[in-house]
Amino acid sequence: MGPVLAALLGTGCVESSELAPPGTLVVSQEQAASWTRNFNPLLPSGTARWAASACIYEPLLIFNTVTQEWVPRLAERFEWVEEGVRLAFKIREGVRWSDGTPFGVEDVLFTFSLIRDVNMLDGGNIWSFIESIEQRDDGWIEVKFQRPYVPGLAQVAHQLIVPKHVFEQVESPETFSNPNPVGTGPFTEILKFNQQVWDLGRNPYYWQAGKPAVEALRFPAFPDNDQANIALIRGEVDWAGNFVPAIDRIYVDRNPEHHHYWFPLISSTIFLYANTEREGLEQTLVRKALSHAIERARVTRVGMYDYTQAASPTGLSFGHKKWIHTELEDSSDWMTYRPEHAVELLEQAGLVQTEADGWVLPSGKAFELEITVPAGWSDWVRSSQVMVQGFRDIGLDVRLVTRDFGAWLHAVQHGEFDLAMGWSQSGVTPYEFFKGLMSTESVQPIGEMSGSNWHRFGSSDADALLTQFEATSDPEDQAAIMDELQGLFVQHAPAIPLFPGPAWGAFNSERFTGFPSEDNPYAVLSPNRPPESLLVLTELEPR
Amino acid sequence: MIGVLRYAFRRLGFYAIAAWGAITLNFFLPRMMPGDPASTLFGRFEGRMEPEALERLQDLLGYGDGSIFTQYVVYLKSLFQGELGTSIAYFPEPVFNVIRSGMAWTLLLAGTAVVIAFLLGSLLGALAAWNRGGKLDNWAPASFALLGAFPYFWMAMLASYVFAFQLEWFPIRHAYGANVEPGWTWSFFESVITHLFLPALTMVIASLAGWMLMMRSTMIQVLGEKSIRYARARGISERRVFLQYAVRNAILPSLTSFGMALGFVVSGALLTEIIFSYPGEGYLLIQAVQTQDYPLLQGLFLAITLSVLAANFFVDILTAVFDPRTR
Repeated sequence: MGPVLAALLGTGCVESSELAPPGTLVVSQEQAASWTRNFNPLLPSGTARWAASACIYEPLLIFNTVTQEWVPRLAERFEWVEEGVRLAFKIREGVRWSDGTPFGVEDVLFTFSLIRDVNMLDGGNIWSFIESIEQRDDGWIEVKFQRPYVPGLAQVAHQLIVPKHVFEQVESPETFSNPNPVGTGPFTEILKFNQQVWDLGRNPYYWQAGKPAVEALRFPAFPDNDQANIALIRGEVDWAGNFVPAIDRIYVDRNPEHHHYWFPLISSTIFLYANTEREGLEQTLVRKALSHAIERARVTRVGMYDYTQAASPTGLSFGHKKWIHTELEDSSDWMTYRPEHAVELLEQAGLVQTEADGWVLPSGKAFELEITVPAGWSDWVRSSQVMVQGFRDIGLDVRLVTRDFGAWLHAVQHGEFDLAMGWSQSGVTPYEFFKGLMSTESVQPIGEMSGSNWHRFGSSDADALLTQFEATSDPEDQAAIMDELQGLFVQHAPAIPLFPGPAWGAFNSERFTGFPSEDNPYAVLSPNRPPESLLVLTELEPR
Repeated sequence: MIGVLRYAFRRLGFYAIAAWGAITLNFFLPRMMPGDPASTLFGRFEGRMEPEALERLQDLLGYGDGSIFTQYVVYLKSLFQGELGTSIAYFPEPVFNVIRSGMAWTLLLAGTAVVIAFLLGSLLGALAAWNRGGKLDNWAPASFALLGAFPYFWMAMLASYVFAFQLEWFPIRHAYGANVEPGWTWSFFESVITHLFLPALTMVIASLAGWMLMMRSTMIQVLGEKSIRYARARGISERRVFLQYAVRNAILPSLTSFGMALGFVVSGALLTEIIFSYPGEGYLLIQAVQTQDYPLLQGLFLAITLSVLAANFFVDILTAVFDPRTR
């Protein structure tokens, strides 16, 4: 009945009618059942479409995680006029907005004053550390900081710049959905927009002559990962950032010549957080014992399809590879799988293993723990199951509990958990990472919300080092401070590193070339890290 | 006719109270869940957002200010003004617009499927009972029950895999083609129908057995009544006995269920919409739950509640017309 009916209805060629026209790059990054037309780049990400921060608007500079370099965009270069306190940017000349209006210093100044006045739009929390922003008479702008704060460069440089002549007309920019964006990026023109698919065309005034070579971008709505993967496998998607299980088998093998992926381990390290406010877990020895009971090779194989590997003992992800203290990394063994040593450490910590109650705390209470993970996050759930098995092998009473994402997040942020899997802070340098793990400033009492430091660990030594780091832009000084921070981390084991997070990215080279890959690592392939996607979109070319 | 009207008026009072109860529950239930929407939205940034930004977000979304009672009063007031608030998952889109975007497709998909399943199922059930022990009666109830007993998502995924993915007879996703412009054109209409066919078919298959068995059993009961024998004895044509005497009476219980089913159409067909990437209300609902988007949840529940009540009211009237005893 099917073919007859299909023929009757004139759908003999379903596939060709679904394919994008030549020159149109199909991107699968966000997942949604239907699109909403929101291109306000100042709203919290996840509310505006991906394109707003990935190709319509541009920042002053882009940090290229792969090459570890600052790439100039709307600023031609930058310099510290006074280290950590006065930062200057040379604003690029000859740039136009996509409606033809010239771009200039006043747009940059306007953007920064807008996010100061409408606090909600200051996603990078820039005004918490800057004092003022002023124009110099030579096309430079200068940002004055309230205190020495070198890491603040990243937030200021990555601020997306919006057009003054558009945004000054808007009455309430915090609820403005910016349906017809005017940007400086390579793709700005909405060619069509409906709830299932939308197309984004080139900026007629783009400042990089001859770029982009791709004619348009297309975004079909896929409600979930499975649908996105089906489209990827069928060759309907050219560039994807979603998780693909067993990618070699289900994607690459279907078309080895054109189907490629690159999952560099540069996303933030995934941790097993131990709540240091819980009896037993406040002891470094116990946390290290837990670490020794985890067979990370099995966790990454069973839980993560072997897409990643055991984390560095320093906790740092490969996105911060150049910061890793290699001698420390080689000499620390607290991450190796040694169950018998875990038992020794627990005994050293004063715990006793009994016939009736299993491990008992020095206070006489049974040592029982729960691992909390968000329900439905199957990779984390599987990883936790492997860990639970490892803990039970040394006689620990550990249970796995899955909760709805909202309930899970509430529990970890408010410190209402024993053990929980979670992500860590990312940033241009490991500053944010260690701040979230060890600074006393980020510690909140149990029951109060904490954005990072869910495990409630603070060290005044770490505070001092972090403050030193805030004040220096000298690479050698920075490296020395980071080495010491890694030493503290290994010494105290505030949280248990599991594996560095992969940056998901897959592409189909049948219709387009120029994607970054392991052999051509000019930028990160994953579209999930705007504004770095700008570096890729301007390099792609139709075949 | 006067009798029907008076009856309708009486029922209206009951429905008003039911609606108020539902609206109130609708307000309190989501607030009993742990966590709050701003924190959930915050969590999506995986720590890339400063805690201070969260406070700003909470202020903006209007959470945390005022007692629960004040919030309730504000909620009722804005409801009467047709103001459903701002969605959190689709911030800053108003809830009304978000719901509207999927409504047409939901009504089309779930509505078509429910109406076809009801009509076809009832007809098959009536025929099976009429020719009891006949061919249709022997194989149809069992085989449809078997098909309907498969978990729906499994059947839908299989259908999608075989007919859309492998054989490519049908489009694999969406309500119309990516290269078709929506509008009153033949190519758009054609695209909509081809995209509708497979998801609607799986829904019909899944629910056909229920309608059929329900109709069959009441029909058997009705056929055993004296009125049927009397009608036959009077020499009324078989066709008329079947339609006017048997089906008209036997359809009444099914009609009540049909009203309920029709009301729930608005809630969408969650699994169907996800498996076939069909843009409708069902997916909105799950997303609203996941992101704790209270305004959207409330808007959706309100739409569902009101349409279930309206459909029931409609069926009450219809039943009253068919069956004078209920007045």
